[in-house]
Amino acid sequence: MNAKDLVLESAADRTVRFERDALVFTNQLYAAALRYTKNPEDARDLVQDTYLKAFASFHQFEEGTNLRAWLYRVLTTTFINSYRKGQRQPQISQAELEDWQLEQAQSHTSNLGKSAEVEALEKLPDSDIKRALQEIPEEFRIVVYLADVEGFSYKEIAEIVDVPAGTVMSRLHRGRKQLREKLADYAKELGYTVATSKKKEASE
Amino acid sequence: MSHDDFNSHNLNSTGGQINCGEVLASLIFIIEGQLQEMAEAAAITDHMSNCLACTAEIEHERAMHTLLQDALRRTCCEEAPEDLHQSIHAQLRAQLGGAATTEVVTQVRMREISIEIDEFGNVERHEIEIEQTHIQHFVDDED
Repeated sequence: MNAKDLVLESAADRTVRFERDALVFTNQLYAAALRYTKNPEDARDLVQDTYLKAFASFHQFEEGTNLRAWLYRVLTTTFINSYRKGQRQPQISQAELEDWQLEQAQSHTSNLGKSAEVEALEKLPDSDIKRALQEIPEEFRIVVYLADVEGFSYKEIAEIVDVPAGTVMSRLHRGRKQLREKLADYAKELGYTVATSKKKEASE
Repeated sequence: MSHDDFNSHNLNSTGGQINCGEVLASLIFIIEGQLQEMAEAAAITDHMSNCLACTAEIEHERAMHTLLQDALRRTCCEEAPEDLHQSIHAQLRAQLGGAATTEVVTQVRMREISIEIDEFGNVERHEIEIEQTHIQHFVDDED
């Protein structure tokens, strides 16, 4: 066996290891890519690009660390860098952390509002849930998806998305809030509920 | 009605250290189980144990979060099309120059026995089973 064989051998070995450990996440990554890109063709391409990029830098991946989180990081970075070119996303302001605390509900929700909200979430069809998720801003959608569907901690999300942990919390909060407001609106349109969800009680 | 009127009883009972608005502003940290990250964690916990309105609000928020999470998980579970799995596999193989691999498995098993005799003539015997499996992949020749 000469030196060239050795190089080829380790590449082959690595391919097998990569296929064994990383490809089990294809379905999960595809579902995430559908939320990111909003269409099946781009989602397909995104997942494929993600795997090729991940494979190209797989030798840098530290075995024993979280491979799933690492793959989501590659997916998210690839999406942000390549798939939303042209569709310039408005940047969320630096003051977002302070803003969201001020904007936050300062009064308690009425009981009527609470039951209406529960009803909306229980009765709405899956298609409306997906629609609502598509309609909230990308920064919020990604973070809510990673937390609530994929179950990543906010610290893991901070690494995946490459933003400070405080920003993750703020986006998570606002994203969920907007999602619930949209769902309550749909429910109202469909006549499921009589009251809007999270109407703040008017304060002087 | 402002929240302060609504909860004036509570402001007295907690010595006015923190109000409902401040607790509600920390909701996301409470829901995420990250209250300890807040500087006011102790005051918030104290307030929550005394304020029925906040307790109800937090319970509602937790329930809503669970419902929302269930709805999202139920909805977002599409499977990748079959040909995507295949095309990823094919592309990875293409990186290897389209070569198929042969797997060679080498298994070694041995038993190590050591005997120790101390100064009093006591004999101690140790046996260790050693098993090793080594898998190698070789790229097959083109032809």
